[in-house]
Amino acid sequence: MANDPIERNQSLFRGIVYLCGFLLFWEWLRPLDQITDTANMAVFVVYAAFCFFLSFIHLPWFLTIPMKLIGLAFVLDGLFIGQRFLSGEWFRYVYEHIQFNFDVMVANQWWQMTPLFRSMLFLLLLWLMSYLLYYWFVVAKRTSFFVILTIVYVTVLDTFTIYEGKGAIIRTFLISLIAMGLSSFTKEMEKESIAIRGRRVYQAWIIPLMVVVLFASVVGYAAPKKAPQWPDPVPFIQGAVNGVGGSGGNSIQKVGYGTNDEQLGGSFVQDNTPVFQAVADSEHYWRIETKDVYTGKGWIRSSEGNPSEQVVANDINLGYFSDAVKREDKVATIAMNDNATFSKLVYPYGIQKVSNSEADTLVINPTTGEIIPQKNGESFQLNGYELAYAQPSFSFSQLSESGTDDPPQIDQAYTQLPESLPEQVRDLAEEIIAESSNRYEKARAVEEYFQRNGFEYSTKNIPVPDEGEDYTAQFLFDTQVGYCDNFSTSMVVLLRSVGVPARWAKGFTGGEQIDTVEVNGELKNVYQVTSANAHSWVEVYFPDIGWVAFEPTKGFGNHTDFYIEDTGEDDEESSEVDENLQEQLEQNQEQTPEMDEQDMVGKADESNGSGGSFTVPTWLWIVLIVLVLISLGLAFKYRYHLMTMYYRKKYIQHPGQRNYEAAYEFLLKVLDKKEDLNRSSDQTLKEFAHSVDDHYRSQEMGQLTYHYERLIYQRDSSQHPWDKMSELWENLIKKTLS
Amino acid sequence: MSQQTYLAHGKVHELFANIQSVMIGKEEVTTLSIVALLAKGHVLLEDVPGVGKTMLVRTLSKSVDCEFRRIQFTPDLLPSDVTGVSIYNPKTLEFEFRPGPLLGNIVLADEINRTSPKTQSSLLEGMEESHVTVDGNTIELKRPFFVMATQNPIEYEGTYPLPEAQLDRFLLKLNMGYPSAAEEMQMLDLISNDHPINRVQAVMTKEELIELQNQAAEVYVDPNIQRYIVNIVSETRRHPSAYLGVSPRGSIALMKAAKAYAFIQDRDFVLPDDVKYLAPFVLSHRLILNSEAKFEGMTSSDLVNDILQKVSIPVRKEK
Repeated sequence: MANDPIERNQSLFRGIVYLCGFLLFWEWLRPLDQITDTANMAVFVVYAAFCFFLSFIHLPWFLTIPMKLIGLAFVLDGLFIGQRFLSGEWFRYVYEHIQFNFDVMVANQWWQMTPLFRSMLFLLLLWLMSYLLYYWFVVAKRTSFFVILTIVYVTVLDTFTIYEGKGAIIRTFLISLIAMGLSSFTKEMEKESIAIRGRRVYQAWIIPLMVVVLFASVVGYAAPKKAPQWPDPVPFIQGAVNGVGGSGGNSIQKVGYGTNDEQLGGSFVQDNTPVFQAVADSEHYWRIETKDVYTGKGWIRSSEGNPSEQVVANDINLGYFSDAVKREDKVATIAMNDNATFSKLVYPYGIQKVSNSEADTLVINPTTGEIIPQKNGESFQLNGYELAYAQPSFSFSQLSESGTDDPPQIDQAYTQLPESLPEQVRDLAEEIIAESSNRYEKARAVEEYFQRNGFEYSTKNIPVPDEGEDYTAQFLFDTQVGYCDNFSTSMVVLLRSVGVPARWAKGFTGGEQIDTVEVNGELKNVYQVTSANAHSWVEVYFPDIGWVAFEPTKGFGNHTDFYIEDTGEDDEESSEVDENLQEQLEQNQEQTPEMDEQDMVGKADESNGSGGSFTVPTWLWIVLIVLVLISLGLAFKYRYHLMTMYYRKKYIQHPGQRNYEAAYEFLLKVLDKKEDLNRSSDQTLKEFAHSVDDHYRSQEMGQLTYHYERLIYQRDSSQHPWDKMSELWENLIKKTLS
Repeated sequence: MSQQTYLAHGKVHELFANIQSVMIGKEEVTTLSIVALLAKGHVLLEDVPGVGKTMLVRTLSKSVDCEFRRIQFTPDLLPSDVTGVSIYNPKTLEFEFRPGPLLGNIVLADEINRTSPKTQSSLLEGMEESHVTVDGNTIELKRPFFVMATQNPIEYEGTYPLPEAQLDRFLLKLNMGYPSAAEEMQMLDLISNDHPINRVQAVMTKEELIELQNQAAEVYVDPNIQRYIVNIVSETRRHPSAYLGVSPRGSIALMKAAKAYAFIQDRDFVLPDDVKYLAPFVLSHRLILNSEAKFEGMTSSDLVNDILQKVSIPVRKEK
């Protein structure tokens, strides 16, 4: 093929156009490592290049398919598989993975799909894309569709995610202009059967094209641009999207407990999927973990702490309270629901012991508060367990007198704030606590600050902070509307900015009481806890006492027990304080019923992380969406075949006038797509049938038309050989579609 | 536009074949004449003398076993010459009505544009009203009643062109046209001995003809075909080249003709094809072109064909 100079030019053009296709496709891959947890992007790009190259050099399929498969295996091997490449062990390993993942898919538990399998799907997708783009760019010479898709993709990602698409959009424009210029040139040459030889191609087309593209790009890049002429539509769109789908921000959000809180914000929808049932004396929060580092966008951990493994039978001591705290021994039973997909334990404050579980070991991390059950060295999800705990109660006087003498490690770890925190926030914190004399009052002041001052509880239309915007500042000064994450994070930040050690706790609220049961002669309540009960709150450190939970979220009551010690002293000041405290207590009590209504609420960010087993990875979504797009594309390409099948089935099932009419009209539509056969509106059906039959040297259209005419122009047409007609129809459709 | 029509109806085919034994070629004109006959309409034949107009009418009338009358129109022809006249009979001392040629079944009105408008209207009145008034008496015309008028488009001197309003009394306006060379040779061959018209036998009685006319009127016209007809006709009123469009009488004529045309193909319903085929014959003499179009050399048939290209065919059942 390379001997003929024209051919050589053509294939050179094709090569450049296809290369442009690959570069555009690369723009699709680039953002993935930022917006998803896809690592090792380079490997995927290399594999994509490999597939594109193989598609281009036009080897026979029995060579390319094995080559691509081996490439795929090689990539998987390098990324995941420790076995010797292509050994028996290796195949068994891959086979087991595939089998497992198919089971998982059948069970709709997408989040359990293993990275190996996900990567394999992704590689297959790259493979398919290489074909698709080859078809679009080289065979059909239709570049504009993919160019538009790419631009839309980049702009959407740029708008709605952290991805910065400025460079990408410029690259995309350059590449697309070149690709479209070249492909329209080759198309034009083919259409007009013009052959330009050798150098003249460059003079006639390529050099002008390059000059125009470069000139346009440079001018476009350098020219002064007007500021946006209308207000940024993004918040509105985000709001609208969030309101409807509960997804927003850069990741899919759903209600429930998740592990990744790096990017808070965004709306969500309620999800009342049960997570567990608890049998307990009273309603209280179920804690899972805490986080200590606020990044300005969300929460991360400074370290994973020092988890210690211990046998289940032993007592647990997280060391959150000093002995000075009054406690009451209680027990509770937890029955996890099948829908729960996290392995960490939920537990009340003051946990002492876990029993009646399948676990043999507990990995306890006092820093983060996580308790992970293990069996034979592997963590797993418990079906149920019993908890023994000493529910703490805090004395107002102790709290008020606890002072500020924090241990250095506490002070260091839990007063952290990002440097980017606006000064505004600190000023506000100072203002709020101005009249508070001790730490407890400060905490209460901040907690109460949210109950007034126009803050609103809502799960809808909650923005994600923009780049450079602080999550708490946005909430405190800008929106004042939010849910637990907004309130709790803001409270922690406010407290930390006045030097009070505080941390961010996650778990579930008490849930809805659904039943009462008798356990060992005692009446206990059964609480149903759903994903909607996922919640976050605040823990404040008090020296000599420990961590005390506070609840800033509007509409939620503080479930921490506080009590007033009967000191016997009767001086005026103290009783005044007592009165205040009493008032507060009452307030708390009042809030409780209100909470029941809004109790369902709580939210957790969809995790991007691989650590949690709860979440649907974003890039799986992308894979699914692309697969759906591809199948839609294929369905569109073969729509007439599909519709033929549909009409045929319908007609065979119910032969008769109506379906015959539909089938005939469909036939007209199909014939209309044929360039040399389409019916002009002044052509009667008979004339048209005549021309069709002339074209195919057949009788079918005439016969079909004969019957159709009788259907639509005759008064009553009953007797038609319906079964024979379906055959005629099928024959003709086949001829037309072939 | 010449079209071979498959005359599926047995009786009609017989009639057609009988006429064709005399007429060489001219299938289309023959077919359309039969259409007009069955649609109870009349035909205006426009062509030069000697192309067989009279022969066609005579053969037709002989084949149907009807009374054939011929009126040769001249400038001095009086209305009474057409309709008949009451003459005083000295024996009975009474006025006696002598029926004119109009009181036949099949009337050939030859060179209709040669007579005065007064005489023309007496003919046209009869065609439209199917009765004539003579001396205050109304005389019913015979049934079937079929007029075939001819006019010579070449000569203008001493002619009285038919007013447009009267032209639309004719269902169809046809052109005979010259035969092809082969047809003409065949004709010479045929004529050399005895004229074939002398051998023509009737293949149909008057009663049979009336029955066929009634059957043709029964043919079903679907609403979507009616809409198609109306669309075509109303388009003639909107067309930029038309000075005067087709009247509702034209729509009725088109539908009647289409019914008869479907009938001779032994079909009991009308197809758009029928309408489309007949439209130029039915409509072109019912409209007047404006001077601009005339100047550009456009004819009425061109206009109708132009309209037929614009109006879309109904291909779906009307809901």
